[in-house]
Amino acid sequence: MTPTPALSVHELTRVYGSASAAVHALNAVDLSFEAGTFTALMGPSGSGKSTFLNCAAGLEAPTSGRVLIAGQDVTNWSESRRTQLRREQIGIVFQGFHLMPYLTAEQNVGLPRRLAGGRPERALVRDLLARVGLGDRATHLPAQLSGGQQQRVAIARALVNEPTVVLADEPTGALDSTNARAVLALLRHSVDALGQTIVMVTHDPVAAAYADAVVFLVDGRAAGRMENPTADAVAGQMAHLDELVLTGAAS
Amino acid sequence: MIGLAVRSLRFRATAFTATFVSIVLGTALMGSFATLLETASGPVSGNDEETLITMGAVVGSWGTMIVLFSLASTLSVAVRQRDVEIALLRTIGATPRQTRRMIRAETVAVAVAGSALGAAIGWLGGRALLAMLRHADMVAGSVEYAGGPASLATTAVVIVLVSSAAAGVAGRRATSGPATMALADSSSGTQRLRWWRVLGAVVLIGYGLAMAVITITVTADSDDPYDAMASSGSSSILVGVGLALLAPVLLRWLSASLRPFVGSTSVAGHLAAFNTSRRAHLLGAVLGPVIVFTASTIGILMLVGVDGRTMSGPVANDFKSINLLNNVVVGMISVFAAIMVVNAFAAVVSQRRVELARLRLLGATPEQVRGSVVAEAGIVAGIGVGLGFLAALATVVPFALARDEGVIPDGQLWLPPLLAAAAVAITLGAAASAVRRATAEPPLALAGGTE
Repeated sequence: MTPTPALSVHELTRVYGSASAAVHALNAVDLSFEAGTFTALMGPSGSGKSTFLNCAAGLEAPTSGRVLIAGQDVTNWSESRRTQLRREQIGIVFQGFHLMPYLTAEQNVGLPRRLAGGRPERALVRDLLARVGLGDRATHLPAQLSGGQQQRVAIARALVNEPTVVLADEPTGALDSTNARAVLALLRHSVDALGQTIVMVTHDPVAAAYADAVVFLVDGRAAGRMENPTADAVAGQMAHLDELVLTGAAS
Repeated sequence: MIGLAVRSLRFRATAFTATFVSIVLGTALMGSFATLLETASGPVSGNDEETLITMGAVVGSWGTMIVLFSLASTLSVAVRQRDVEIALLRTIGATPRQTRRMIRAETVAVAVAGSALGAAIGWLGGRALLAMLRHADMVAGSVEYAGGPASLATTAVVIVLVSSAAAGVAGRRATSGPATMALADSSSGTQRLRWWRVLGAVVLIGYGLAMAVITITVTADSDDPYDAMASSGSSSILVGVGLALLAPVLLRWLSASLRPFVGSTSVAGHLAAFNTSRRAHLLGAVLGPVIVFTASTIGILMLVGVDGRTMSGPVANDFKSINLLNNVVVGMISVFAAIMVVNAFAAVVSQRRVELARLRLLGATPEQVRGSVVAEAGIVAGIGVGLGFLAALATVVPFALARDEGVIPDGQLWLPPLLAAAAVAITLGAAASAVRRATAEPPLALAGGTE
């Protein structure tokens, strides 16, 4: 008996448009992500990465198939239950940071707690900010922080409710390489030290190399998986994705 | 750039609705009073001419002040709404000058259409006003309505010019600084007030207070009991508009001081308390009309009340109609101010659509999002009503003293709370309807350029 995966999807299908114009953004995808792992999701534009994250976060309803968070089938939940799911079990890190511009770093980190009806414990928030290297920036507004610092605040915010899974959408897409490395190291740290589960969509082989495994999506299908990836291996695989599709079809 | 302006207008007709509505109403309000001036130049007796000119010029100028103020603030919100789009245009090579020209061309196109419609409404409004004056025997029944192109076209041209100037100011603010700055999501920050706003506020508040002092010291002892009304009547509006000019700064200070009380109530209160104080420049556009609404309605209606109680006998009958007109003016101004509040809130909330969707992504329920916006409206309404009440005192206290009722008028003390409640209800209603539209759809998808 294997432990329950933090996130798993079965036969996940999402079709846009109808009849002749139908586009299969996701086509019967089966994936599962064990607790305490860091997985990168890669694929060319239009491969269904974003649709996958939207379905997993309960932002978009799949056409068919199921989404399970910690073993619970959340597919047909109402909007309000999915909202509750988002704030209690899912942490989201966006490419564009998405901090509230009128709240300080500390208040942004505590926000999911407040939305859940609680009070953020000051010590917890300060500890998270210290972990992301911003202990001395707690009272700064987002406009007073650099892009890399804002993203680190956003990561602390995603972690504050100790979610079952953190979904990261191109978290380093808007950062320079130094800041990107810091953010990736931080994500790695939250898996190793805090036991977090992270699913990260990325285009960047270097970013993917921080993960435990890479899953490749092509044309809405899971086309392959690489354990213990290195940047070179991932880049090589990305250059030959069509072969993955062929071997996938053969097997 | 003109071609781009036309296409931009056609593409997003709804986005310009707020501007259009305030231009139509502004022109209608100003135009109605302007026709009285034109009528006065016709074949009327000397007395009638004086009455018509007083009504048109004096009362019309209060209205004008409020109209111009709200027009400018609506336009600045409308332009700020498009910060990102403007920055985009600039990053692909539009010069600040071209960008400003586009903003101005759009605004002028909307203003021409809006003021034409407004002038037509003003033509009817002017007739109604004159009919009322005749009915109240303030002017002879023989006075013929003569409002036409001279007054209405002038009003329309003034409105177009003012819109163009306001668009110029707003455009300059939008295009100052490097283009990339505007693309960044840094819409917190504390914008400094423009010097002309501070100057305007000082002049208006100073003038209003000076008139109040003159009422107590000079006109109170005048032989004509209506001198005191003439000198104190507009003080509340003057001080109210003056305070409205300072709205962003006042909101920042006052809401920061309310924070300990509001901020700890709920997550909605928490968000609202920080948004109102840290982004006061946004909600300042709503606070302004709330102050003006409260100040002008309380000020003038209390003035009418004091007058009604203290004047009796044959003299009073002659002047009864003045109060009828005062009431008409209050009615028009308050309807206008109420629409401005609704307008401004719609603009502010639509500007924050992305940010509100972001809250939903973080796990806020639609109720929490709506709650935070309504709580903001509550803070703005509370502060607006308080400041508006202070401004109203500039009329009420001097006039009550002049009519020997003392600092506090002898009656109708239920009026201020009633009008304050109306102002609060309008503000909360405006916020609730604006945010309901913004949260009607599910949150934006998380991936792929949600900005």
